[in-house]
Amino acid sequence: MSGSTLRTIRQMRRKKPLRQRIWENRYIYLLLLPGLLFFIIFKYVPIYGLQLAFKRYQVNLGINMSPWNGVDNFRLLFVDGDFWKSVRNTLVIAYLQILLFFPFPILLSILLNEVRQTRLKKVVQTIYTLPHFLSWVIVSGMVLNMLSSNGAINNLLAVMGLERVQFLTNKSVFRQLLVLLLTWKESGWSCILYLAAITAIDPSLYEAATIDGANRWHKIRFITWPGISMIVVVTLILRIGSIMDAGFEQIINIYNPTVYEVADIIDTYVYRITFQRPANFGVSTAVGLFKGLTNCILLLTTNWICVRISGTGIV
Amino acid sequence: MERYKYKKRRPVACNWFDVLNIAFMVLFALLILYPFYNSVLVSFTPQTDYIKTPFMLYPKNLTLDSYYIVFESKVIFTGLGVTLVVTVLGVIYNMFLTLLMAYAFNREFPGKKFFLYAVIFTMYFNGGLIPYYLLIKDLGLMDTISSMILPTGISIMYMTVMRKYFAALPEELTESAKMDGASEFTILFRIILPLSLPMVVTFALYYGIERWNEWWNGMLFIKSAFKQPLQLVLRGIIQSTGAQVMSSHLQEAGIVPFSDGVKMASIVVTMTPVMCLYPFLQRYFVQGLAIGAVKG
Repeated sequence: MSGSTLRTIRQMRRKKPLRQRIWENRYIYLLLLPGLLFFIIFKYVPIYGLQLAFKRYQVNLGINMSPWNGVDNFRLLFVDGDFWKSVRNTLVIAYLQILLFFPFPILLSILLNEVRQTRLKKVVQTIYTLPHFLSWVIVSGMVLNMLSSNGAINNLLAVMGLERVQFLTNKSVFRQLLVLLLTWKESGWSCILYLAAITAIDPSLYEAATIDGANRWHKIRFITWPGISMIVVVTLILRIGSIMDAGFEQIINIYNPTVYEVADIIDTYVYRITFQRPANFGVSTAVGLFKGLTNCILLLTTNWICVRISGTGIV
Repeated sequence: MERYKYKKRRPVACNWFDVLNIAFMVLFALLILYPFYNSVLVSFTPQTDYIKTPFMLYPKNLTLDSYYIVFESKVIFTGLGVTLVVTVLGVIYNMFLTLLMAYAFNREFPGKKFFLYAVIFTMYFNGGLIPYYLLIKDLGLMDTISSMILPTGISIMYMTVMRKYFAALPEELTESAKMDGASEFTILFRIILPLSLPMVVTFALYYGIERWNEWWNGMLFIKSAFKQPLQLVLRGIIQSTGAQVMSSHLQEAGIVPFSDGVKMASIVVTMTPVMCLYPFLQRYFVQGLAIGAVKG
């Protein structure tokens, strides 16, 4: 069939003009409206407000009328040692999270899948997911108590004849501690995603493999792993695409000035310079823009690389 | 059938790998549970015992002193009141917005793709803290309960799962209703929603827990002490040091509260509602995520 015939068929099928189709769907637009308004007001207006990164904010003039000042905000920012420290901390903590936390739920889901006692499996899975539903405020409360110098962990160390460790003010262990807490809180939750993917694997594959004499390792390696690898790739892309987020809610509730050196991340830095000192909103916005753009670029780059290598991506 | 299979398989599942695996699973579960146990333990322990015992596995004496102080103080109750208001109104607002949008995006209409991408874009890029803060300020929401309700509207993940749920409903239902001249609103509220009731309840609970746990908007926007949500009140208690905890008339009366005990008791009080709801939630959570994961 020639191209022109195809085009005619398409035109015939799409007989109704656009205006008519919009009119026919007017109630759908009406249903869509409240949600769209929400996204416009609370998501797109702040994105529009990012112009403040290139302005000198004056309270009486507002975002729109404040005078432009080029890249002065970025210039001020880039000479601030605390800013670069926070960037470094963010990257190091995010890197530790990807290295130590990220693989754990995957491993956990594979091992959980190998548990044949259905009831036990259900019970432990329920327990693993539990901490996810508590706020970091609650978790920090429990943890600050346990890790304090006369808390449970140190008492245990003392009973075993070891020395007490000041976990919460110790710069050399604080980052690892953060990752460990994240693992404690979120492993079970992340695990669900992988378990869902494992459940979607056709059971006959396992049966066939058993008949062919595959042992358990073979089945994990050649059936379970390929079954979840796509989800793993997607999750990894998303994680790298938010590398400039290292867990604000966690850190702001747990850290203290003694460990700012190693745990002050970009988000806590912005919070501190904005709300705990005389604020320069222009500079603070510049940090936000820097962070958002970096995340976006990394997301697109990782996605591009993954599509190149494995043919899977998210966009 | 299920049970039969499980019994039949059982003798096979007992080599060294299974033993190690199960041991690991149980150990990790205990590790998850221990901090909870520790909090409950400390909240019921008298201060003298807490200081004297080198490492406490089980309590020797129980006391309700810490809980007494928590319930004596007004802050927990004002916080609880605020959080209840925010949770109830907030969940209604969340569900209204999310359901309408999920239903609309389940249909075909000109411009659907554009709107969908516009929505998803906000997952990956946002204005950051300052423009958000100034927006709330410009809207005149500073120090209002609304500042904790309005800015959290639609979770894109929940919306997507709902959309897939709607898509899985038989199409004939809407088609025949349309033939009979039902409007979109009638279809949504009379046909679709009653059919989706378990899903609606589940997501209302998801949102409810998020609302219950919310403190960040409160910390940014709320200045008056009596408008602080529960989590923020709790944060204040946790971050305070030593005897500052709940400075009330008790202290004037010469009773020095056991600060660790009071902190843990406040935590236990705050997390109890979530813990009570959790078992009901878990199943739906898993299902909801499963739909999202497999299809998304």
